[in-house]
Amino acid sequence: MKALELAELTISEIAPLIRKKQISPLELTKSYLDRIKKLNPVLNAYLTITEEQAIAAARRAEREIARGNYRGPLHGIPFSIKDNIATKGVTTTAGSKILSDWVPDFDASVVERLKEAGAIILGKTNMHEWAKGSNSINPFYGTSYNPWDTTRIPGGSSGGSAVAVAASLCVASLGTDSAGSVRNPASLCGTVGLKPTLGRISTFGGVAGTGGYTVNHFGILAKTVKDCALVLSHVAGYDPKDPLSSDEPVSDYSKPMGIPIKGIKIGIIKGGYFAESLTSEVGRAFEEALKTLKSLGMRIQEITIPHMNLVPALQAASTRPEANSDHEHYLRTRPRDYSPGLLYGLIAGLLIPAPVYVTAQRIRRLLCQEFDTAFEKVQVIAAPTLFSTAPAIEDCNRGYVEADGKRVNLADRAGNFLTRYTIPFNVTGLPTISVRCGFSSSGLPIGMQISAAPFQEGRLFQVGHAYERAAGWYKRNPQL
Amino acid sequence: MKDAVRRLNLEYGFNLSEQEIDVVAKQAEEAALLFKPLFEVDLTGITPLTKVDKRVKKAPALKKGKK
Repeated sequence: MKALELAELTISEIAPLIRKKQISPLELTKSYLDRIKKLNPVLNAYLTITEEQAIAAARRAEREIARGNYRGPLHGIPFSIKDNIATKGVTTTAGSKILSDWVPDFDASVVERLKEAGAIILGKTNMHEWAKGSNSINPFYGTSYNPWDTTRIPGGSSGGSAVAVAASLCVASLGTDSAGSVRNPASLCGTVGLKPTLGRISTFGGVAGTGGYTVNHFGILAKTVKDCALVLSHVAGYDPKDPLSSDEPVSDYSKPMGIPIKGIKIGIIKGGYFAESLTSEVGRAFEEALKTLKSLGMRIQEITIPHMNLVPALQAASTRPEANSDHEHYLRTRPRDYSPGLLYGLIAGLLIPAPVYVTAQRIRRLLCQEFDTAFEKVQVIAAPTLFSTAPAIEDCNRGYVEADGKRVNLADRAGNFLTRYTIPFNVTGLPTISVRCGFSSSGLPIGMQISAAPFQEGRLFQVGHAYERAAGWYKRNPQL
Repeated sequence: MKDAVRRLNLEYGFNLSEQEIDVVAKQAEEAALLFKPLFEVDLTGITPLTKVDKRVKKAPALKKGKK
């Protein structure tokens, strides 16, 4: 088998071959490392490549499997990890200058779980500075480039992870999502991106100051819905090191896939929240996706979330004070080691009164109750993941895009417009998955997000997998 | 708001220029406008959300006389 063919495989395809010893984890790992060496100079997906450790882990996996000690579907599978997730003995920068030489002496719990499952860590991926943005134009480590068009951003803040998965520089990646940072780059790079329920995956070992507390999630980027389900089954669950993690039982998330979705009701939120600056191409792709879901027997119903328009204020009121709580020390000691834009935002955050924060947390509960009511009528909610396809790097630098003859500012009073469609599912903590739902006329991927009630990840996988197989968009790969 | 930014500038030692103070003050003013509608919501009986739990559907009320 050629290296490229290997690299285009998914976990669900590779795992049985590894188990039957038809693919060597060592050869697989070397194949990915070769591809990284060839393409990373062009795409800047990885900040650190852990070649030596990866080869050692692959050798270990190969020995174990040869002795009959197969650990499960992640055994021997090459992963990448976003650089704000602590990795023992490996530099973890969070895309910042301040942590440029920080080498943790521990693994994040999620990394520990991946390693226990036998996964191979190929390296750490590039990201937006401190995860505080979604274009992955990083002033200290350079921009990550979208593999479908390298003049465009990959999205972010888990931009490097999405590039690595889309360009087959790993099989799957772990990212973090406090405003859409998994789903946004997944959509713009054409991968699947899962943000599970708040607390479903332990966030112990996430770099403080890269996501706050109330809206931050660890997530998974992979090529297919099934791969996300396989990874979640191994990394989810209560962690005593993270008091915010949930003790809800972890199920085998691959089970719901293949169960027909006929009769499941899908909710569309009325009121225009997801129509704000929606480009015609993304709108059309989303409508087509709904038609596909209907053809599979799903029923569409409009739902109302009365306080939907407060979401951007809730997101800002939650994340900004939480960020300041984490950045206090560095603001006092190394303020000029932040990029100017981030520094100004953090200083402005110091002026948010405490009642704003507490009031936002109360309205978050109200909003969750409104979603609960909606989930009494429908089983899932669907929306476009972003208003547009990947903006050009040049557009991000000038601060606006032009689409359908209109100018759309990429930053407004509420902050980052690229996250407008994803943040409702951060402030509510609802599990949400972004799947590819089409391509623009210029060949850029488009994403649709599907959300469900808390801890109903299985429902997401059931619907997402059925859609993915019926639509067939997942088969296309970027030409590199 | 500019005075508040100047106070922070001194306290934290940011060494912001006047132009930078303007930028930060403008952002803080914009944020204050963004947050204003939050205080127009009736939050009687609503406590802050601190953790997401699995939603449990309310059990139907017991009929009188039944235990």
